[in-house]
Amino acid sequence: MNTSHPRRRALLAGTLLAAGTAALPRAWAQALPTARGQGRLVVVFLRGALDGLSAFVPWSDPDYARLRPGIAIPPPDGSGQSTIRLDGSFGLHPALAMLEPLWREQVLAFVPAAGSPDGTRSHFDAQYQWETARPGQSGDAPGWLNLLAAQLGGAGGDAQPRILGVGEANPRLLAGREPVQLVAHGKAAQRAGALENPRQRETLMALYDGDDAVSQAFRRGAAERMDTARTLSADLQQEMQAASNGAAPPALLEQDARNLATLMRKDRSLRLGFLSAGGWDTHVGQGAASGQLADNLRKLGAALAQLRRDLHEPGDVVVVASEFGRTTAENGTRGTDHGHGNAMWLIGNPVAGGRWHGQWSGLARANLHEGRDLPVHHDFRAVLAQVLRPTFGLQDRQLAAVLPGASWDARLDGLLRRA
Amino acid sequence: MQALPRFSRAALAAAALCAATLSSPLALAAPPADQRADASSAPANSADTATWRALSRLGYGPTPALVAQVRQAGGARAWALAQVDAAFAASRLPPAPAPELAAFDQPLPQIFASVKAEREARRALRDARADTPPGNAMTPPMAGNINAKQAASPDMAPELSYIKDSAQGAAAWRLAACSQPTLENPLLARLTEFWFNHLNVSADKGAARAFVGHYVLHAIRPNVLGRFEDLLLASARHPAMLYYLDQALSVAEGTMQGERRRGLNENYARELMELHTLGVNGGYTQNDVRELARVLTGWTVAPQQPDGFRFAPRLHDDGAKTVLGRAFGPTDPRDARAGEAEGLTALHLLATQPATAHRVALRLAQWFVADQPPPALVDQLARTFQSSQGDLRAVMRQLVQSPAFWDPSNRLFKTPLDFTCSAMAATGAGTDDERELRRSAGFLNNAGQGLHRWPTPDGYKTDAATWRSPDALTRRADLALALGRGAPDLGWLQPFLSPATRARIAAQPAQLQAGLMLASPDFMNK
Repeated sequence: MNTSHPRRRALLAGTLLAAGTAALPRAWAQALPTARGQGRLVVVFLRGALDGLSAFVPWSDPDYARLRPGIAIPPPDGSGQSTIRLDGSFGLHPALAMLEPLWREQVLAFVPAAGSPDGTRSHFDAQYQWETARPGQSGDAPGWLNLLAAQLGGAGGDAQPRILGVGEANPRLLAGREPVQLVAHGKAAQRAGALENPRQRETLMALYDGDDAVSQAFRRGAAERMDTARTLSADLQQEMQAASNGAAPPALLEQDARNLATLMRKDRSLRLGFLSAGGWDTHVGQGAASGQLADNLRKLGAALAQLRRDLHEPGDVVVVASEFGRTTAENGTRGTDHGHGNAMWLIGNPVAGGRWHGQWSGLARANLHEGRDLPVHHDFRAVLAQVLRPTFGLQDRQLAAVLPGASWDARLDGLLRRA
Repeated sequence: MQALPRFSRAALAAAALCAATLSSPLALAAPPADQRADASSAPANSADTATWRALSRLGYGPTPALVAQVRQAGGARAWALAQVDAAFAASRLPPAPAPELAAFDQPLPQIFASVKAEREARRALRDARADTPPGNAMTPPMAGNINAKQAASPDMAPELSYIKDSAQGAAAWRLAACSQPTLENPLLARLTEFWFNHLNVSADKGAARAFVGHYVLHAIRPNVLGRFEDLLLASARHPAMLYYLDQALSVAEGTMQGERRRGLNENYARELMELHTLGVNGGYTQNDVRELARVLTGWTVAPQQPDGFRFAPRLHDDGAKTVLGRAFGPTDPRDARAGEAEGLTALHLLATQPATAHRVALRLAQWFVADQPPPALVDQLARTFQSSQGDLRAVMRQLVQSPAFWDPSNRLFKTPLDFTCSAMAATGAGTDDERELRRSAGFLNNAGQGLHRWPTPDGYKTDAATWRSPDALTRRADLALALGRGAPDLGWLQPFLSPATRARIAAQPAQLQAGLMLASPDFMNK
C-alpha cells in the first residue's frame, strides 16, 4: 500500500486555497476550507460503546494499570503483544497495528476525551442523541448527516442522493428529507435478485406503479439496487482477476467498507458515507492484548485501512466515534461498564495527524467524571464542526443548521490542517 | 417530522431516468398518470379491512381457515376479544415443537450438560490439534472417537453442534409457530414475539445461545397473558437472561473466587430499569443502577436445578443499599432467604411503578396500534395495568376493544418478520418442507431481523421508519416471488387487496400472480 502519493496531492491542493479567507466570520477564521470545500466524509459509528482506553492506550499514565489490573494493554515493549507507542502519552492497541502507518504518515489523529455534554449511560438514548446531534433531547429529529446533505450545493443534481449507507436498514443518522442510498451488508449488495430477470422486473415495476409510499420506495430501491449490484460485481470481477492469492475472505465490516468505498468512487455525487459496527459492549472478559475486544478491533482496523486505500483524495475524511466511553476502571467481571467521555478518531489527508488534539487530564480519580469515567472535555459536535467547516466549506448558519446548539471550540483549532 | 427519507418528484424522475439508462423495461412499465390509484387505500369492504387488521396484528395475517373463523365468530371484533381468552388457554398448554427441533426444548439440566459436553469436546479437539504435528494421523487424546477431519464439519459430529442446532431449532420453531395457526394460537405467537423482544436476549451471545429457545418456551410463552411481575421474574431467573446481561457473574464487590477478586457488573441492573420496567426517563439515577446491582448479587445460574437458577448467599452483598429511595439490608449473611428476598422486593418495586405501567402501555400500543399511538389510549392501558396489578390479559382485552385499535388511520407497516410469517401463512410454506423454514430464516438474517439475533437488550424496532427502506422492499419481492412459485391458488386474498392492485396483478402472467399478491404494496401493511 502506497499512501505517500495521496498525501502529496493533499498538500498541493492545500496551496491552491489561499484566497477567500477575509469573508469568513472571525470565530471560524482558524478553519480554512481544504480542497475548496469539495471533500467527502465517511462516518464509522461503533454501536455499544467502544472502550477507547483500549484503542488509544494512555500507557504512561500511572493510574492506567492500577485501574485495570486484568485488562490493561501492556506498555510498549515492541513485542506485538503490547501497546504500540505513538508518543509519550498514548499508544495503539496491538490489534490496530494496521493503523500505525497512518499515524506515521500523519493522516491519523484522535481527540482522547470527547463526547456528549449529556450524561446518559443508556446506549440507545446516547446513540439517538449522537445521530441527531441533540444531546439530552429525545424528540423526533432528522440525522445530522441528512441535514448536512441538505447543505451541499450541486449543479442541478438535487435529485441524486449524496448519502450512502451500508448495512443498517434505516439508521437515524441518515434519516430526513434528503434522499439516501442504502445498500445491504456484505455480498448481498452485489445481487439484484428477482430484478435480474427482465420479465420479472417488468412485472414488479408494473405492480409498484402506484403513488403510495411503498411503491415509491420500491421504484427507487429497484433502480438503486440494480445500479449497486452492477457496480460492485464489476469491481468484484476485477478483483478476482487480480487474484488475492488465497487470502482469507474479509470480515463483513471490511467487505462493507470496500463496497462503500467502491460506490463512492464510482458515483461522485455520493459525498457522505455511513458504516456501523457492533459488538463493543464489553461488560465481561473483554481481554487485553488478545481476546474479544482485540478481535473486534482487528476487524475495525482492517476496515479503516480499506477505506484509507480507497478514499484518499485531498478532501476525504473518515470520522470514527462511539456513543460514549466505558468506565476507566475494570469492573468485577474483567470488563468495563458504561462510562462517559471517549476518543474520537479522524483519518484523512486534511487531518493534522500523527498527534492527538484537545485536552487530556489523565486518569487520576480527582479528574474523572463522577469519580469514575473519562470526562468530556470536548463536545462531539465541536469535533464534527472542525471537520465539516473546511471539508464542505460551510458557513456559520449552515453549521448551525447541521449541528444545532453546537459552539466552536477553539481549543481544537488545528485538528484539520491549515492551508 | 417524517423520519423516513422522502423523495421529491424530481428524485423519482431521476430514479426513473437512471433506471432507463440501465434497462428500458423499468421506465416503460409505467401507465399514464390518470390510471394510477393509491394502492394503500382500503379495500372496498370495511369488514374485510377489519378482518385483515385483526388477523395481521393479533397474529400474522390471514389463512383461509382463519378468515372462516372470523366469519363464524360474527366478525373481527368478536373474534379479537375471543382470541385473548383462546391465547390465554393455549399459553397454559405445553407447546408442540416438531421432534426434530426438540433439542432446544430439553429440561435445563440436560441443556447445561449438553453445552458442557460440547465445550469439553471442542477443547479436547483444539488441544489435540495443537499437540499433533501436521500430517500425523494419530488419534487425538481425550477426543473420544471424534477425529479431527470429522469435527471440521460440525454436521458430522452431533456432540460438536448441539449449541448451533439448538439455536437453529429455536428459530425454526418461531417461524413455524408464527405461520401455522394449527400449531400455535396466532395471538399467543404474536405476544411471545412482543414479550421476547421486550425482554430481549440474543443467541449471538455465546453463553446464552443454547438457552434462548428454552427461554422463549418456558419463561416468555406461559406468562404473556399472566401477571407482568411473574413474567419479569421468570425472565430474571432464566439462564438465558442471567448469561445475556451478565447477572450470573455479578457478585459483591471484593468477593474472592480462588485467587481472583471479583465484583459488580451493572449490565442487568441498568437494562432492568431502562428497558424492562421504568424506561430511560423513569426517574432512576446512576446510583440506583449501582445499588440495584448490589441488591441482585448472588442471583446466578445453577446447572443442576430444574429451573437453572440459584441464589448464592456467599456472593451476595449484605450491606445497606438504597434503590429508588427504598432501603434494603443490611441482611444477616447466614440468612439466605433474606438475601434473596431483597431481589424479589426490588423486582416487585420496579414492576409496580407508574413509570413501568406507562412504558408497557406505550410499547403495546406502538406494537398493536400505530408507531405514534394516541396518548389517550396509552394512558388508558396504563391505568388498567395499574388497577389490575399488571394483569396482561386485562390490558389486552382493553386494547382490542379500544376504538383506536380499529381506526383505519392508525396504520402499521409490516416488519420483515411480519412480512415473512404472513407470506408463509398465506401459502402454507414450511408446513411440510423444513427447507422453507431455513430459507425464511436466512431472509430474516439478511433483512436485519434474524430470529433471536438482535444483539442489544432494547430488542428490534418495529416502526415503519426503521423498516420501510427502498433496498429492503426489493428484497421482500425476492422472497414473495420465491414463495409464490408453486404456491396454491391465492385467489381468496383478493378481497384484501385494493382494486388498483388487483387490476395490476390481473394483467400479469398467471404463474406470477400468487407471488405478486405477496409482493404487493397492500400486503406490506398490517
